[in-house]
Amino acid sequence: MSAMPVEDLAVDLLTERPWITLVWNDPINLMTYVTYVFQSYFGYDKPKAELLMLDVHEKGRAVVSSGTREEMERDVSAMHSYGLWATLQKDD
Amino acid sequence: MFKSRLGGKLTLELDTAELGVLSQLFDQMSELLEDPDSETGSDPLAKLLNMSGSTQISEDPALARLFPDGYAGDEHASADFRRFTEQDLRTQKITALATARETLIDWTGKSSITAQQALDWLKALNDLRLVLGTRLEITDDTDRDFDVDEPGMHLYNYLTYLQGTLIDALT
Repeated sequence: MSAMPVEDLAVDLLTERPWITLVWNDPINLMTYVTYVFQSYFGYDKPKAELLMLDVHEKGRAVVSSGTREEMERDVSAMHSYGLWATLQKDD
Repeated sequence: MFKSRLGGKLTLELDTAELGVLSQLFDQMSELLEDPDSETGSDPLAKLLNMSGSTQISEDPALARLFPDGYAGDEHASADFRRFTEQDLRTQKITALATARETLIDWTGKSSITAQQALDWLKALNDLRLVLGTRLEITDDTDRDFDVDEPGMHLYNYLTYLQGTLIDALT
């Protein structure tokens, strides 16, 4: 995957879960669809999936998963395959 | 519309008008996804390694919505991410669309849908809504009046309805 700067690698080694996947609000995706995606891809139960969906909708974005950079790139890619607007970043 | 039956089976029922509309939209979507201008590089090794994707987000807002940046505010990381993932993402979208189109071949008005076909329909319908919604400049702005008589809005609303019946049938 992406070439990783040395300092990022160091953070990866020192801290367990330094990267997060964010899903951003958009006016097109249905709330029921976003909830369904969180349930079926991440395996979250309905209450958790709905809570995350509402966070996305009301706060503009929500952290939907965390892990290594590679794991988050995989999650972001999967979100894009569902048509959700997602990005990853370091969890500062 | 999609319906769930006992035993978790799904059926899709479409009348002739719906079949016509969906076939046309799927054809246009297929053209958009397979547009050669949006694929750069013809290096066979890069293609083999799934690395032939571009590094820049599309200038077409609809394609930019289907293939967004992976990193917010980090052009370099986004370019790397795109180089390694966009081609695969494009293939996935084309495959989902192709599966949905296949169920419409020799259409008799009604068909049972497998779980895999349902997932592909869900993604294909969502991609269509993203493209159409972007073209119609759909926003969260509730003050804005949409022209309900615009043909594009009719299509968008129909796709929203159809996708809604599929989500209901799946959940």
